[in-house]
Amino acid sequence: MNHAPDFDSRVAAALANPTLKVAIERTTGTARTKRAAAMAAWPEFPAARALGRDIKDHVIENLAHYLVAFEKNADAAGTKVHWARTGEEACQIVVDICRKAGAKSVTRAKSMLGEEIGLPHALEAAGLERVETDLAEHIIQLAGDPPSHIVWPALHKTREQVAELFRAHHRDPGAMATVEAMVASARRQLREKFMAADVGISGANFLVADTGAVCTVTNEGNAELTTTPPRIHIVTAGIEKLVPSTAHAMAMLRLLVRSATGAELTQYTTFHNGPKRAQDRDGPDEFHIVLVDAGRTRMLNEGLAEMLRCIRCGACLNHCVVYRQIGGHAYGATYPGPMGSVLTPMLDGLEQAQDLPRACTLNGQCQEVCPVAIPLPTLLRGWREKSWQRGFEPARVRWALALWRFTAMRPRLYEFAGNIGLRIMPLFAHGGWISRMPLAGGWTAHRDMPSPSGGTFLAQYRRRFKK
Amino acid sequence: MNDARSEILKAIGKVSANPTAIAAQAQRLRAGACRPDRVNGPADAVFIERLRSPGVAATAERVATMQDFPDAVRRYLAAQQLTPALALQPHPDLQALDWSGISTHEHIATDEPVAVGLALGGIAETGSLVFHSSPVSPTLFCFLPLHHIVAVRASQIWPWLEDYADAFAGCAQPRNVNLITGASGTTDIEGTLVRGAHGPGWLHAVLIGNAE
Ligand code: SF4
Repeated sequence: MNHAPDFDSRVAAALANPTLKVAIERTTGTARTKRAAAMAAWPEFPAARALGRDIKDHVIENLAHYLVAFEKNADAAGTKVHWARTGEEACQIVVDICRKAGAKSVTRAKSMLGEEIGLPHALEAAGLERVETDLAEHIIQLAGDPPSHIVWPALHKTREQVAELFRAHHRDPGAMATVEAMVASARRQLREKFMAADVGISGANFLVADTGAVCTVTNEGNAELTTTPPRIHIVTAGIEKLVPSTAHAMAMLRLLVRSATGAELTQYTTFHNGPKRAQDRDGPDEFHIVLVDAGRTRMLNEGLAEMLRCIRCGACLNHCVVYRQIGGHAYGATYPGPMGSVLTPMLDGLEQAQDLPRACTLNGQCQEVCPVAIPLPTLLRGWREKSWQRGFEPARVRWALALWRFTAMRPRLYEFAGNIGLRIMPLFAHGGWISRMPLAGGWTAHRDMPSPSGGTFLAQYRRRFKK
Repeated sequence: MNDARSEILKAIGKVSANPTAIAAQAQRLRAGACRPDRVNGPADAVFIERLRSPGVAATAERVATMQDFPDAVRRYLAAQQLTPALALQPHPDLQALDWSGISTHEHIATDEPVAVGLALGGIAETGSLVFHSSPVSPTLFCFLPLHHIVAVRASQIWPWLEDYADAFAGCAQPRNVNLITGASGTTDIEGTLVRGAHGPGWLHAVLIGNAE
């Protein structure tokens, strides 16, 4: 894990880490293959995706209506609904509920919103024992790492590293020879914790407006074991998570699960609706939902409404050429990859996050795989423009661009400069590839550059079209 | 905190004047033609096929009547070489059956080896078992055992996810709806799928009878 303050050095450290690339490719490679197979079996995907987009847009267009309807229906089921303007406010609400209940230990099912608002830290600062129950979250809790992917938070760890962590921290680790043995060890380690916790905290994949229910999806079964035994269940959810009805949630689930893991449905799809009923043998006595804004209404009003469609499937990360090289931690934010590069400038401020929208090749893969058709490249370009207008680009970038503009507007000068490059670059090439050249270290440190051939673009253009 | 509520709603701005128009619009946004071509036969046959598909990877069989269910359980226990002791979901339809030769209990333990349950129904599209929590269907019965053996009536299979949703639209909702699609699993270590994460490691469905 690297904590370098600036993006460039985090990227440099990530590129220099030999195991990281292997770890990223193992998981994202599998995810891409499985998603591709799921899509091949679903020729109607383009229409389904348009529908997913329209459902989310409809909800965002009528957000106040659906929030109020959700609140009313949740309240009728005995749920206590809270509202939080900011992440701090949301954490405070959660901590207050825990304190009031005299809670000592809290189990948590993975929630990216929880990470976004700093809930793990807030719980610990309040003196509560925090037990992460999702296997990946358990791994990174032991390692003291932040998540590096929104679906597979421990994707940066190889199996060898996980085995080492479990050997050091588990009561009864066993042989650790296989991934199966590691999973079994985590099962033994967390079993009693599930049953002993005072409070269980989860996120929400969807909030169903017409029933007041919270939908969670997991494959491990940890969410239900987190939310059922404790006396109190608290949900933290972004206000954009709404869908009109259960039937709409089903349409979104088809898109979410296939895009995330390539499966048709997660093993456990659960709708939670209020506390324990009369005569129920299990379930929480209290059920709380904290509806969190934390920048979402600003996104709505400042040109990022499309980003509120995001269902956190992670497909754009798995298909991003930049993410696949540098992994999640280099982004230095809760949400990495394309979706993170759109969200982070809004959540953390553009000045601090200005590098992220620039760390993109604009190849459009992310938009192509996004199950709700978010125009991620366009949104990233929007941030670049804002960053330029507000003068955040470093002086050398502004200078270089000004110089390029000057040259590009003068075709003869441009070609002259191009010809100089064409003559100099081959001097550094071996077998058609350049692996070292002055001023090109940023490129050649991690890959070779092809030696130019065939003359400048303008020369080639003349040859071909002006015969 | 009421400040937070009104401030958030104010920041959203647009207060929709016409709930009927919104509902009509939502109604038009339902999946129909764009669903994957999954349910192309009788719902109960598709359901069994989906359960056994590699993606769901459960085991499934069919027996003629509810009275035949205990025998299916006995066969399963013998095949898996399990001790004939299990947690029986406190449902009257299960309790009414003849469990002789098996010692059953109503309380589910944290490390329960085997639990036997009755699902409310199933969904053919995805091979999912549906449970609604209630005094006779406690949620933890689906999550604590290592082996979960579930009876489901063939007459209670909904073709599509939406058919299940519509069957309960506008009704009082249970505390928990659990759609269970195969045994628990995880891909959190290097993307490798491993079965038996925190929930059951084995799921066996027994379809009762034929769809009418
Ligand atoms: S932006 Fe699209 S692809 Fe990326 S996580 Fe969100 S929904 Fe998935």
